[in-house]
Amino acid sequence: MRSGARSALAALVVGAAALVQGTSAHDASAHDGHAARPAAAAVPVPPPGSYRLPPIKPAAGGGVLDESGRRRDLLDRDRRGGITVLALIYTRCGDLCPLATADMARLQDLAAADPAAARGMRLVSLSFDPEHDTPEVMRDFAAAWRSSDPAAPAWEFLTAPDRAALAPILAAYGQPVEPGPGGGLNHVFRAFLIDPGGLVRNIYSLDLFDPALVLTDIRTLLIEEAGRGDVRAR
Amino acid sequence: MARFRAAPAGRISLAVLAVSTLLGAPARADETCLSPYMAKITGIEDFVYVWTLGVEGLGDGSDKLVTVDAREASPTFGKPIHAASVGGRHEAHHGGFTDDRRQFWAAGLSDSKIFVFDVATEPARPRLVKVIDDFVEKSGGAAGPHGAYALPGRMLIPSLSNRDGTGRAALVEYANEGHHVATHWLPTDAAPNGARIEAGADGYGYDARVLPRRNAMLTSSFTGLANALRPLGELVKDGEAMKRFGQTMVVWDFHARQPRTVLSVPGVPLEIRWAWGPQHTYAFTSTALTSKLWLVREDAPGAWSARPVAEIGDPSALPLPVDISLSADDRTLFVDTFMDGTTRVFDISDPDAPRQIYEKKIGAQLNMVSQSWDGRRIYYTSSLLANWDKTGDGNEQFLKAYAWTGRELTPRFAIDFTAERLGRPHMMAFGAASLYAR
Repeated sequence: MRSGARSALAALVVGAAALVQGTSAHDASAHDGHAARPAAAAVPVPPPGSYRLPPIKPAAGGGVLDESGRRRDLLDRDRRGGITVLALIYTRCGDLCPLATADMARLQDLAAADPAAARGMRLVSLSFDPEHDTPEVMRDFAAAWRSSDPAAPAWEFLTAPDRAALAPILAAYGQPVEPGPGGGLNHVFRAFLIDPGGLVRNIYSLDLFDPALVLTDIRTLLIEEAGRGDVRAR
Repeated sequence: MARFRAAPAGRISLAVLAVSTLLGAPARADETCLSPYMAKITGIEDFVYVWTLGVEGLGDGSDKLVTVDAREASPTFGKPIHAASVGGRHEAHHGGFTDDRRQFWAAGLSDSKIFVFDVATEPARPRLVKVIDDFVEKSGGAAGPHGAYALPGRMLIPSLSNRDGTGRAALVEYANEGHHVATHWLPTDAAPNGARIEAGADGYGYDARVLPRRNAMLTSSFTGLANALRPLGELVKDGEAMKRFGQTMVVWDFHARQPRTVLSVPGVPLEIRWAWGPQHTYAFTSTALTSKLWLVREDAPGAWSARPVAEIGDPSALPLPVDISLSADDRTLFVDTFMDGTTRVFDISDPDAPRQIYEKKIGAQLNMVSQSWDGRRIYYTSSLLANWDKTGDGNEQFLKAYAWTGRELTPRFAIDFTAERLGRPHMMAFGAASLYAR
């Protein structure tokens, strides 16, 4: 269950798509306030474990603030051992980020139905707009999006203390952010799949940030981890 | 004014587009053949970057990335305003931007070097910032990087060949930071890697392009470096060598990077253009030696077919179709033929029955064509390969810009790359200063 703000956004997204495609051209149903993708356009997903996700590069940590304003490392070494889906966003964003955050919410719901996946993963949304996105703003934003289902994986909403702390994180993830028209921020959306060893194993644009596909990648990494465990146990 | 956003591909991007349109930022320009994963110009292009082969004794004789000024209000409109030389000749061929459009990766076929230019810091003056020289070693023997196709945070680089110079080719992934990530060899009869093979799997490579919403990647096939770097007049007389040209296209499970179906497309299928419409699950290619347009389509989920749908010029005269460009509305396809220097425009509203509606001779020889997203501006270049270009009077080397009215091409400007002492112009890419904050 989530707040009405999220449902309103989902309605905007679905409505916008309807303007393009015609109202009868797609399935505009929504689940739990989420913007649903039409069945006809669902990305065909290969079975988990049937493919490799080659390591792309080491995932960077960096000093960030949690929703309570406590300083911590982005990758939080105490939490390593799990799989992280890291999305870089800002809360004032009017187009790409709300769609991506809706997909993160759907991923959280999908994973809630898979206890093994939910136990082995977490979601992280990191803002690259520290002047506006204070811990308080991120806490309110989290309240609008995060599931209260106890079976759902954790979803953290983080921000940086300032631009100086943010800069090396953005550089490490190859995420340029520049001032845009109307006070917005120009960026391409990227999300990162980070394995328990701290390696980036996939990078998603919005087009491929499909919750079912991301969950399949997570299951693929869990199968890989289990295989390593089998080898170690022999 | 241009804005910085992801290119539309798939339903979610349509939703983005719709939201953006509501906010008053309609998409109007940019090239139509870019990776769908890339940030996109939504205004008019400021620059055309031209990856240019060096010619011995002409200027500095080196391959270079030339900036052409496409700003109509500029005093240097239609002129080359900068040339970033890479030093030496490497058979400059194709290239592409990274997904954030901050770098342009330009490949050299002959020595497998990849030249990385920063186009964000000073868009009118790209700067060479890195040379990737470990392509053959890190890929496990792939050679002849043909292009560079943006994936999120990565570049997908199809090879033409391998260290032995034959046609066995691979798709090679590099991180945007410039290090090797993975290599995927094209399927062969001996190593099909799980693919269903229609008639044969030659393992050759050329273009690679993705349709994200169907998780489909399509590759095409040319020939190995031993053929591509050989003088054309000599090559066509070698019957055995002429047998070593691509006859296939491969449909891949893109996410798994696994080949699913090897389609029989005889006659050397080259450039691939996916349709843009959200319900259009098909692509076009042209076959160089048989001079046909082919339609590749998903007839049912996971079931793909390829069939010829039109002839290009008179196939018996071997016009040699080379580049194609699809309009953003999926209605017109520009097709360039090298030997007669002609561009032909097909109405492809019915993709099963393309109909030629216009043709114009652009020059003595003709290779690449790029069109703006709004379909109003068309750019052509002349060079194919150093040893395949015509000689004597036929060796015209130009960039020519036209306006397309929907019925005819009218000239905007032309640049003689020989008179400017630049070289042989090949691949074009659009740039815009407003993509980047000052």
